[in-house]
Amino acid sequence: MLNFIAWRIAQFPLILAIIYLITFAFVWIAPGSPFGNQERQLDETAKLALERRFHADKWYKFLGNYPKQIILHGDFGPSMQYAEWTVNDILKTSLPVSITLGLFALVLGTLIGVAVGTLAAVHRDGIFDWISLAIVLVGISLPSFIFAALLLMIFAGWLEWFPVGGWGSFSDIVLPGVALALAPMAYIARLSRVAMIDVLSSDFVRTARAKGVSRSVVIWKHCLRNAFLPVLSYLGPAAATTLTGSFVIERVFSIPGLGQHFVNSIQNRDRTLILGATMVYSFLLLVFNLLVDIGYALVDPRIDVTAKGS
Amino acid sequence: MLRLLSIPAALILLMIGAIAWSSSQSTPRADFTFVIPRDVLTLDPNQMSYLQDFRLAYCIWEGLYAYDGMTLDPVPGVASSVDISPDKRVYTFHLRPEAKWSNGDDVVAGDFLFAWRRMLESPGEYSYLHYYIKAAEPYLHAYADFLADPDKNKKPDFSTVGLRVIDPHTLRVELENPVLFFLELMGMPAFFPLHEPSMRQYREVDPRTGNVTYNRKFTRPGVVGNGPFVLKTWEFKRRVRLEKSPTYWDRGHVPSNSIEQLCVEDMLGEVLRYEAGDCDWIPEVSSEVGPEMVSKGRNDVHIFPGFGSYYLTLMLRPQFKDGSDNPLSDLRVRQALAMSFEKETICDNIMRMGEKPATTYIPPTIFPGFNVKPGYPFDAKRARELLDQTAFRGAKTLPGVSILYSSNTLTFAAMAQNIANQWRANLGLEIPVEQQESKVRRERVNNKEYSITIGDWIGDYQDPSTFTDKMLSTSVNNDSDWKNMDFDRLCADATRETDPQKRYRLLERANELIDKELSMIPLYYNTNQYLFRGNVHGINLNPRNMTMFKGVWVDRRKGS
Repeated sequence: MLNFIAWRIAQFPLILAIIYLITFAFVWIAPGSPFGNQERQLDETAKLALERRFHADKWYKFLGNYPKQIILHGDFGPSMQYAEWTVNDILKTSLPVSITLGLFALVLGTLIGVAVGTLAAVHRDGIFDWISLAIVLVGISLPSFIFAALLLMIFAGWLEWFPVGGWGSFSDIVLPGVALALAPMAYIARLSRVAMIDVLSSDFVRTARAKGVSRSVVIWKHCLRNAFLPVLSYLGPAAATTLTGSFVIERVFSIPGLGQHFVNSIQNRDRTLILGATMVYSFLLLVFNLLVDIGYALVDPRIDVTAKGS
Repeated sequence: MLRLLSIPAALILLMIGAIAWSSSQSTPRADFTFVIPRDVLTLDPNQMSYLQDFRLAYCIWEGLYAYDGMTLDPVPGVASSVDISPDKRVYTFHLRPEAKWSNGDDVVAGDFLFAWRRMLESPGEYSYLHYYIKAAEPYLHAYADFLADPDKNKKPDFSTVGLRVIDPHTLRVELENPVLFFLELMGMPAFFPLHEPSMRQYREVDPRTGNVTYNRKFTRPGVVGNGPFVLKTWEFKRRVRLEKSPTYWDRGHVPSNSIEQLCVEDMLGEVLRYEAGDCDWIPEVSSEVGPEMVSKGRNDVHIFPGFGSYYLTLMLRPQFKDGSDNPLSDLRVRQALAMSFEKETICDNIMRMGEKPATTYIPPTIFPGFNVKPGYPFDAKRARELLDQTAFRGAKTLPGVSILYSSNTLTFAAMAQNIANQWRANLGLEIPVEQQESKVRRERVNNKEYSITIGDWIGDYQDPSTFTDKMLSTSVNNDSDWKNMDFDRLCADATRETDPQKRYRLLERANELIDKELSMIPLYYNTNQYLFRGNVHGINLNPRNMTMFKGVWVDRRKGS
């Protein structure tokens, strides 16, 4: 097991380097300059001075400078659009916000999703099944910006239970957390319902019941463990996406998270920030996929993850 | 069962920890709070060019002259008085001895010299304003050449530039030409002083050329300024907090103790924050929410004329990039296009924020005493006649011509479509519309790979040359590549003229050429939209859209 983890981690630098180069190529060939943006044009001399300062005049100067700094000092360089801030500054202030919000949404989504899915499977065609169907339908088909705006209008605008936006206290997290949790909750409910139905009809469940084990113990202890596997494989990528923030949710609730930078940095051609945000996202994706594989082994001892690595 | 519950319990604990980790410390509400959709891009006066940057810069620094909060007329700032030579080419500023930096140091003439020299050696978007100073433009270019190739080019001599420190409290500025609005320029961030001693720790010296640059972190909280406020907090894309400076010379006229800027990207969120009473002022109300608020008869929406116009920029080179002929190089085609669509529908149905249809580049009301003659009116019949005189009589389209616009402004798509529809109806011409992301559009316009595009120009200072300069044949901002020698000559004559009246007459004639020759088809004069309640004082409704927080305060007694 340890070998497997070590081997996977050893692959990280190569994968990240490839992602960096591919992203860089896209960033570089995209038309438009990171400097000067409006109707008023930047003087050629001023533009050249800026390009030199940010090593943005030639592709080999860019590649000769930034990757080295990233490897040696973990420094992604200055943001080209917000030059007072380094990419590290921006990541350091925005990533914790996104992780906090994402964690809240993920926990909420998983707990409710699994509970709803399980109950729906147990009471098939009953009231819980209908509720689960409704959640799944709404969660998958309703765009998050509509759901977020609805939450904002009802709970912040009319009822005034929660603030309309901002960041800093627990009450700020509830509405965006719920909005962000909706989609994963729907997927998880659907996944766990299907898996649960499957497991409930298996032989060992019947045996356990026949031996006199109570219904709830069978469901929550024996079945859930098995039914959780598909949810687990979904959780890896879902965690990476949720924890790095959502552009839409952050915008609607004015949350200073990382998600906005994925979109804005591209619009601004802020090359260093695009690369920084992409690398963080890729790294998290790799880590969570690894965690999911480890999680598989823990939940289901029959799965031999080391077989893949050798 | 208990073991199962331990996982969610642990996660919830983790989350509470995370909230504590990621949240910012909360401070009591500022005396004046406002919300904008974007964070400031930079607080380095050397590099700034955006309105939101300027707004805070006027708080943190002060130039030789400043602007009156209500009229925006230039008033003495760091300089208590100025001697102007009879030929209006030499300005001798006398600095007030009570002007202090926020660390207690005196503001001296050398601080201006340092900052202005930096404008020439590390140029920014507004360095061109320094070209009015004697020998500043050649110095800027010579210095750039020197940096590009220090072996071949010599380091230029800064003493050639018309700036002299006579004594710590006297600065003499020699100009290339009599610049009648020079005091007005002295209030702009490009002419602010900087406190060199506190910037030394951010100094970066290039060993090869000896060129000094400063890490822009020097503008973070702790930055030494000389304005009415001190920067206390700057959380990226969250908030900026300013507090009244205890050393500012005119602190008796600063009623607010703290100013806070919040950053809310979403328009709806912005307005909700305002309605919830979290903020006192929104300096731009989007067309998504504005018209509805106006129609409800709310008196806290303030719409007033802006300091510029929107127009269709036409590319006038005789040939396109691909070598084919440009139909727009024929003036009659341009006239036909300009006269064959109504702008009222654009203002009333698309913009809906009080914009007025335009027939001229410069809004006629913004410079008192400067006459702007109306341009081409809507006349579909005459437009058809003009088109029939050209090679495009009965044509179905103009080859190579399309309307290019930026996708980042919501209203542009509807506007382009509307104009194309009117052209089809009134001229029988099918002109395609083309949407591009703003950076892509900008690059295509820079490379002259376009024919028609939606553009705008908002003036910088209270003089018509802030508009006419854009159309000089040498200007980098002359997107249409319009070259008119008469126009250039009139502008050059105006630059040398010392009599304000005669100068205005020259610029009027120059401006008339712009409107006549149609290097752009004016669409509408822009407006500014503010949202603030009656208890907010000191916010002017001047077209220039500049707010001096020095005099702004909120009367909390009345409530909101």
